Amino acid sequence: MFTLKDLRPGQKACVDSIVVEGIMRRKLMDMGVTPGVEIEVNKTAPFGDPIEVRLRGYALSLRKKDAQNIIMI
Amino acid sequence: MKYKVALVGNPNSGKTTLFNCLTGSNLYVGNWPGVTVEKKEGDLKNTSENITLVDLPGIYSLAPYSMDEIVSRNYLLEDTPDLIINIIDASNIERNLYLSTQLMELDCPMIGALNMMDVVEKKGISLDIESLKDSFGFPFIEISAQKETGIDELIQMVTENIKHPKKREMPKIFPREIAAILKEFDELLQGKYPHILEHYPMAFRSIKLIEKDEEVLSKIHESFGLLEDIYETRKKIESFSGHDVDSAIADYRYRFITESVEKATKIVRENTIDFQGKLDKVLMNRYAALPIFFLFMFIIYYVSITLVGAYTFGAIEWFINEVLIVNVAQILVNLGAASWLISMITDGVITGVGAVLTFVPQLIVLFIFISILEDSGYMARVAFMMDRVFRRFGLSGKSFIPMVVGLGCSVPGIMATRTLENERERKLTAVLTPFISCGAKMPIYVLLASVFFTANQTFLVFSLYIVSLFTVFVSGFILSKTWFKGADSGYLLEIPPLRLPKLKNTVTQVWQRIKEFLIRAGTIIFAASVVLWFLQSYTFGFQPVQSPDQSMLASFGKIIAPIFIPLGFGNWVASVALLTGVAAKEMIISTMSVLLSGANGGFPAALSQVFTPVSAYSFVIFVLLASPCMAALATMKKELGNWKDFIFALAYQLGLAYGVALIIYQVGSRIFG
Repeated sequence: MFTLKDLRPGQKACVDSIVVEGIMRRKLMDMGVTPGVEIEVNKTAPFGDPIEVRLRGYALSLRKKDAQNIIMI
Repeated sequence: MKYKVALVGNPNSGKTTLFNCLTGSNLYVGNWPGVTVEKKEGDLKNTSENITLVDLPGIYSLAPYSMDEIVSRNYLLEDTPDLIINIIDASNIERNLYLSTQLMELDCPMIGALNMMDVVEKKGISLDIESLKDSFGFPFIEISAQKETGIDELIQMVTENIKHPKKREMPKIFPREIAAILKEFDELLQGKYPHILEHYPMAFRSIKLIEKDEEVLSKIHESFGLLEDIYETRKKIESFSGHDVDSAIADYRYRFITESVEKATKIVRENTIDFQGKLDKVLMNRYAALPIFFLFMFIIYYVSITLVGAYTFGAIEWFINEVLIVNVAQILVNLGAASWLISMITDGVITGVGAVLTFVPQLIVLFIFISILEDSGYMARVAFMMDRVFRRFGLSGKSFIPMVVGLGCSVPGIMATRTLENERERKLTAVLTPFISCGAKMPIYVLLASVFFTANQTFLVFSLYIVSLFTVFVSGFILSKTWFKGADSGYLLEIPPLRLPKLKNTVTQVWQRIKEFLIRAGTIIFAASVVLWFLQSYTFGFQPVQSPDQSMLASFGKIIAPIFIPLGFGNWVASVALLTGVAAKEMIISTMSVLLSGANGGFPAALSQVFTPVSAYSFVIFVLLASPCMAALATMKKELGNWKDFIFALAYQLGLAYGVALIIYQVGSRIFG
């Protein structure tokens, strides 16, 4: 099992599930991070965190601690 | 008949640009009741009907998690507009249509304005708007707010739809089985709980109840039976979909969108020339991004504060002191005005308001830069770059910009906090920005350094900036865990493509902010200047003062002076200077020079009788950290939105300044005698 945090820039995978409850979960869903969607990691911020990913034709940035809660397949 | 149309869409969808295209100059800018979210209204132009366009905040969904979302939702539900213009960034169509699927549940006629069609066409993609209409059940139109195409057609479409609203069929977003569960739940609601949220649109009500939406649940009276029924329905959805309810509903919406968009999309030709993408790669390169960012910041600071300031500051000061005051005084004398009136207008109003107005050219240039940073999409990248650093101190990456601007003047700095979406971080940044030493405080440091620290002048001034930065971070750390405590809303930020800002937009935004600044100068600062002049010019017996130490202000100074004895400057000259500094920090030096004008040996010599080197340093620290001038205070009050936070901020800034100056003086005077 690996998470979105484990992907290197340039790698892509599909979302399996989001394993966090509460507002962040709803926000991730609203932003299109739903089961099955393909996500590619674009880059890492200069200080190593957050990361920028690409999904559904747009770029989204999130912190590594949240990326860790997105299980990929 | 006056119609209301709401403009709704995602952040970065070009909503502001479209709003400016659709409305004329007849613009009303205010706040939504009770919150500091900006509300903009304007009349729709080029139409025969009387239509008001209301600009709702940019939102990604109707979930009630941010103030923007709650404001938009309440407006759509309670004020029921006659029509919704749903602006959709066609170059990012899937995510943008997600909001549309929620808006569709509101039972309000809607038009989908597919924006940035020029970008989509350049990519070699064409969209079939008839097919989209068939899928979604409301009409679409292709526009480009940037290129101003399709605008007239949109206005025409709004006018037609508003006069003849069409009842439309709810499209099938959810699969048959889920739709049946929803229908069953709705019938149950109508039968068992007919009075629950009865004026809410049906579909919206059912789905929000099933989602256990906090806002909706807070509006119904606790009803155990209903919660039980909701639980049953949630279980049905979960067992059918195999996901939890939240994922299931979001997932069905996105599946519906993906299918509909695929049906409507035609790739005309492959096109891979992407200048913006290449520019982004350079600007955001892992190693070059920070140096480029600091270069931008330096350019902004240098051009607006140093370059523009050097040309305009002296000129405006000269104009106010040598031209305006002289001539106004002359005219008033010729009209036979009383001498107190002349003094009030020239020494009070023109001097006080004028001190604030000298900053206007610098502000214009600063606001132009900020507007460009926002519209180009670079601001989001700044937040991305700086998040790691600022997160530690309870702030966000976006807090950096207000603080850079605050180096020039706290007023635009505090105004720039509006770019922060999170209310807690916005308020915290507004309270911390005045700790960044503004340009007007610089002359005080330079003067006292030249008198008391001749050998280490640069070091002294530099040390003040270190103290100020240190204060920002420590205060951010403490306040974010105490007064401005709150759930970390988390960081989830769209990085929009880089875009060329539109000139018209920049001009409109800069003008709105400058106007706000001018209104404040004309009202609050005007009144405060008159009061300050009065206190400075009269004795308690309401007799004009003969020498400056007789005034009411001087008396106040003498009363409060003992407070500053532990800080080392418990003399009335310093106290009065601090009091006038409330009007504008520039006045601290001029006040001291007036009050000490009779002394032997000139101003510097007189200063060394009032201060020792240690008490001088304690004094500049106090000036640096204590609450800012009244223009910045008025701005801070507006951005904080309530008195409670404002009074706390005031107390914190004054208390901290006092504490730090106290430590410096007490420790310093023991070391240096």
